[in-house]
Amino acid sequence: MDMMLFGPELFYLGMALVFFCFTLRRQVQVKLDYQIALALSAIGVLVTGYCLFQHGDLFFKAYRVDLFSQIFKFALALGLFLVLMISHNLAQIEERYQAEFYFFLTTTTIGMMMLVSSVELLTIYVALELSSYSLYILVPLRRGDGIDVEAGIKYLFIGAVSSGFMLFGLSYIFGATGSTYLVDILPKMSLLVNSPIGIIGVLLAMAGFFFKLSVFPFHFWAPDVYQGGANQVVTFIATASKAAAVALLLRLAVLAQGSGYNFTIALVILSAVSMTLGNLVAIVQKDFKRMLAYSSIAHAGVFLMGVLTITEAGYIGAIYYALAYLVMNFTVFMVLSEVATDGRDLKIAELAGLYRRSPLLMMSLILGIFALAGVPPSIGFTGKLLIFTSAMNSGYFWLVLIGAVNGTICLYYYLKVIYAAYFIDDPGLPVITLSLPIKLLNYALAAIIIGFGFCPDRIIELAKAAAKTLL
Amino acid sequence: MLLSPFVGLLVLLCLKNEQKFLIRAVSVVASGVSLALAIFVFVTYDKGLGGLQFVEKYEWVKTFGITYFVGVEGLNAPMLLLTGIVIFTGCLTMWELENRTKEYFIWMMALVTGVFGVFMSYDMFFFFLFYEIAVVPMYILILVWGSTRKEYAAMKLTLFLMAGSGLIIPGILLLYSSSGLNTFNMLLLHQAHFSPWVQKVAFILLFFGFGVLAAVWPLHTWSPVGHVAAPTAVSMLHAGVLMKLGSFAILRVAMFLLPEGFQYWANLMMILATAGIVYGVFVGLAQTDLKYVIGYSSVSHMGIVCLGLATGTIDGLNGAVFQMFAHGIMTALFFSSVGYIYDRTHTRDIHELGGFSKIMPIASAFFITAALCGAGVPGMASFWAELLVFVAAVKVFPIAGILAIAALVLGALFALRVVQNSFFNTPNPKFVHFEDVSPFLAIPRMILIAAMLFFGFFPQIMVSMIKSSIVPFLQGM
Repeated sequence: MDMMLFGPELFYLGMALVFFCFTLRRQVQVKLDYQIALALSAIGVLVTGYCLFQHGDLFFKAYRVDLFSQIFKFALALGLFLVLMISHNLAQIEERYQAEFYFFLTTTTIGMMMLVSSVELLTIYVALELSSYSLYILVPLRRGDGIDVEAGIKYLFIGAVSSGFMLFGLSYIFGATGSTYLVDILPKMSLLVNSPIGIIGVLLAMAGFFFKLSVFPFHFWAPDVYQGGANQVVTFIATASKAAAVALLLRLAVLAQGSGYNFTIALVILSAVSMTLGNLVAIVQKDFKRMLAYSSIAHAGVFLMGVLTITEAGYIGAIYYALAYLVMNFTVFMVLSEVATDGRDLKIAELAGLYRRSPLLMMSLILGIFALAGVPPSIGFTGKLLIFTSAMNSGYFWLVLIGAVNGTICLYYYLKVIYAAYFIDDPGLPVITLSLPIKLLNYALAAIIIGFGFCPDRIIELAKAAAKTLL
Repeated sequence: MLLSPFVGLLVLLCLKNEQKFLIRAVSVVASGVSLALAIFVFVTYDKGLGGLQFVEKYEWVKTFGITYFVGVEGLNAPMLLLTGIVIFTGCLTMWELENRTKEYFIWMMALVTGVFGVFMSYDMFFFFLFYEIAVVPMYILILVWGSTRKEYAAMKLTLFLMAGSGLIIPGILLLYSSSGLNTFNMLLLHQAHFSPWVQKVAFILLFFGFGVLAAVWPLHTWSPVGHVAAPTAVSMLHAGVLMKLGSFAILRVAMFLLPEGFQYWANLMMILATAGIVYGVFVGLAQTDLKYVIGYSSVSHMGIVCLGLATGTIDGLNGAVFQMFAHGIMTALFFSSVGYIYDRTHTRDIHELGGFSKIMPIASAFFITAALCGAGVPGMASFWAELLVFVAAVKVFPIAGILAIAALVLGALFALRVVQNSFFNTPNPKFVHFEDVSPFLAIPRMILIAAMLFFGFFPQIMVSMIKSSIVPFLQGM
């Protein structure tokens, strides 16, 4: 067995062990913990980057390492690193729990990494639970006035229910095909895809990831968790966790290939409702994170649009958009956590005067928000366009129309953010000073958002190669 | 040409906010370079040869058939020239801006990059990309530097235009996917055969999508409000150039790619256009705010463009494109002179201005010249444009053509009344102490007037230019 195949996971396992030891210490050393976490996660990005082009099978073929999984592992490693970049000030998490914060973040990353490589139903389930349980603990870790507990409970319950749905679906698939290996299931599914058992099995199996992606009707946790969780934890949930969910939806949707109308109509409805509901409710939100939660529900609809085509073009779009979403959503969250230095929940109105307080953050905010809204030239626009193109190619004219109209609705609340930050000024608020690494991070994110939005060719070719390994 | 505002933008990003003079200088130079390039292209374009010239083409995204494909032909050369003139004069007009200068010019340059891009692109992906780049900065430009209910106007404008984009995307993608060619290249798509259903649906999506920006009645309601709220140079650019993006796009994408769809919907276009002309004239006359007057007159002038397009004849299209150019220059002059007056007096009320020509003879003269042009007086560029459109319109749609002419004649009568009330009544003593336009600030306005008169006296230059593309264009249909 080649160690490098399992390299990223092993590395993060080691990192988790380090922090496990740190949690046992009597004295807390906040600064040291942070530096070690940041350094290790930076090395982790390098390790995953090094393993990008590995491919092979592990553990009796339950675990496949290919370009698809490695791209998402790289995205996850990057997501963890970025989240740790903005964790230099964990005001909302008690000092004695900060080592746990790093520990659980690492374990959830391992869980998701295993998730994107799993090609066997039970492995998928175990990996999903590993990543979920860590997040269940991370959410209520915040020092708060009860809202964190509410968020934690909601997250746990809805997560548990969707896991239940998923197990039920997996049992159907297993019962109908007699195997838990996707490779064995795939040929048998072609006979089953138009029978109720096949459709319900696959749909319910996807439910676990609908939950993670906050697709309607599994979205109820999102607003409360986004608002109730610590900013950094929410950032991780909103970026890396979504990418992993998209990856698994893509993997599972392959099972329903060739199913035609019966299967996709369900996804079309979920997609349309998610987009519309998320955007309409986001309009009235006053809390920044809550608004972003609803915007994430709307984006879940866009992802589904790419998934439900089950074509190469759709998969390319979804992979590209998942990576893009990670970057652009992170950009917005970075601005949020840099403005809310004491880790409080930020009202949209509290962004006032940002253009004066920190022009750099303002630039990042404009780019991030416009990218989320799908305004060119940004990765958000290109990604959305790719997904729309593939959906149109597969004949979903009305869904694209609904998506495009939603693009207008969402602009309203995104512009309200720009309006608050760029137009209204509050002379009482002090200038925000940024440390050098954060400044560099700002420039890097801006370059990625514009650069890969305008010249997406490299990423698309990579996504194409990855999509080929699935279909 | 695309590069020079973009380079200007990058340079501006690096400058400090305190170096106001440098910031202005850089933007004026950048826009001056693009104007010079536009003139160069316009003059050196070989009309005899016709077709696409100055082509640049790079494969961009192979998997989805996206190419970076820009070029110049007789249709867009006048538009490029127009953009060059308006942006250059616009930058000069805003020389006095003090509030957040750097950011203003950055957004302005982004907008102009988009406009140039739209006019030159022959790939639908880039066409739409630039289209959006041209539209979005408007929100911030109006919001921060505007006046009169700017928050409302900015939001209304942006949402209207983005709703238009919401129709354009499905339209474009429908063409892309139903052609089965896996390309966004317009010239290749032109050869594809679309089914009648696709033709009709896609055309109406594109027509209304782009029509929002062209202020086609009844989708125009954002435009007067937006023009009133926008700062001077943005009004100039917006009414002068951006609205042309909409009508140009209808011509370039919708009519070019979907001739059958056009045939099917031509009557609807004609009805909406005529309604716009008549409505714009009459509503405009009831206004007392000078900018609203211009805003509504723009609606009616864009109606003329649309009517010209709807005829689908050589003269009609020729007139429509010429009218886009003439109207662009004219509105820029309108807004530029009103902006100057407003900056001094802080009013645009017709009655309050009273006999303004006695206080600021030069500024008033600029406005009056523009008003004459708007009324279609011979010797001005718009005279020829309107003449061409009406000749074509009366042939194809007699009733609509006559209605439109009648409305315009009435409009001219009333326009003179507006001029009389605001410039030749008794002067308002409040404003006596204001100085007239200084020679430096008069330069941009003079350029605009010169362009207007030049093409008014030598319309053949423009007409033959446009014709060199219109004829093959119509044959292609």
